[in-house]
Amino acid sequence: MTTHAAALSPPSATGIPHGKLGMWLFLASEVMFFTGLIGAYLVLRLGHPAWPGPEGHLSVPLGTLNTLVLICSSTTIVLALAAGERGALRTVRLWLLATILLGALFLVVKGFEYTAKFSHHIVPSTTVFWSCYFVLTGFHALHVLGGIIFNVLVLSYAASEARWQLFHQRLELAGLYWHFVDIVWIFLFPLLYLL
Amino acid sequence: MTNALGSAKTYVKIWVWLAGLMLVSVVLAEAGLAMPARIVAAVVLVLSLVKAVLVALYYMHLKTDRRLLAMVLAAPFLLVLLALGVIFSSTLLHF
Repeated sequence: MTTHAAALSPPSATGIPHGKLGMWLFLASEVMFFTGLIGAYLVLRLGHPAWPGPEGHLSVPLGTLNTLVLICSSTTIVLALAAGERGALRTVRLWLLATILLGALFLVVKGFEYTAKFSHHIVPSTTVFWSCYFVLTGFHALHVLGGIIFNVLVLSYAASEARWQLFHQRLELAGLYWHFVDIVWIFLFPLLYLL
Repeated sequence: MTNALGSAKTYVKIWVWLAGLMLVSVVLAEAGLAMPARIVAAVVLVLSLVKAVLVALYYMHLKTDRRLLAMVLAAPFLLVLLALGVIFSSTLLHF
């Protein structure tokens, strides 16, 4: 690590880099955010025995595909991190690019699902189920978009060796955020599509 | 980095588990098995919990990282439990 890089990451009292501890604190607040939304969904759902009814149909194959895409993207970003540990910058770039493309694919599939619903005049105000569906998946999709932007930023750091020396720690932060987004979907998929 | 991270081989193994458990969930929920819906729902949600724990332990490195980070993550769940306690205790007061 260069002197300048060391100045960017001063030692902390906890022994954990400030950025990493900050990211975990942020993720803890995100847990509260999504728990509130999912909790509201569960309370509404348990109050309706016939939930969501025949009109609440979602495509299980598309949901399964998107789940597999996010699981794959979690693996590619952690493989980028492993490559970063080995100093293999070219491999870091490839795995990061794969993560970004998989994230974009998730949003494209989600876009197809939304378009299909809108074409059948299904909007958030149609029923309580659809309100929950659009709120939960919409906020999750925004988080995916945020993760893609973060990953693109980290990829730009990996463009040159000098910048990578300064900012390589941010790959771990981007990875933590991306895995959190994956975990949220791991719960949303069965709750909305399967059960 | 504060610790040595996992190997690529471990990460791929975890991917196989995550994808496999996800497919098991889909088959369980869609196969129309002669099981009560509540049992299917419970099994599928437990499988989701297992997948989330695998991601947190191996991909987010909580298994080998500082315990403080696990405590930071545990804090919101404790608050959620507290909130549920308040909700259910107030429900009981209405009986």
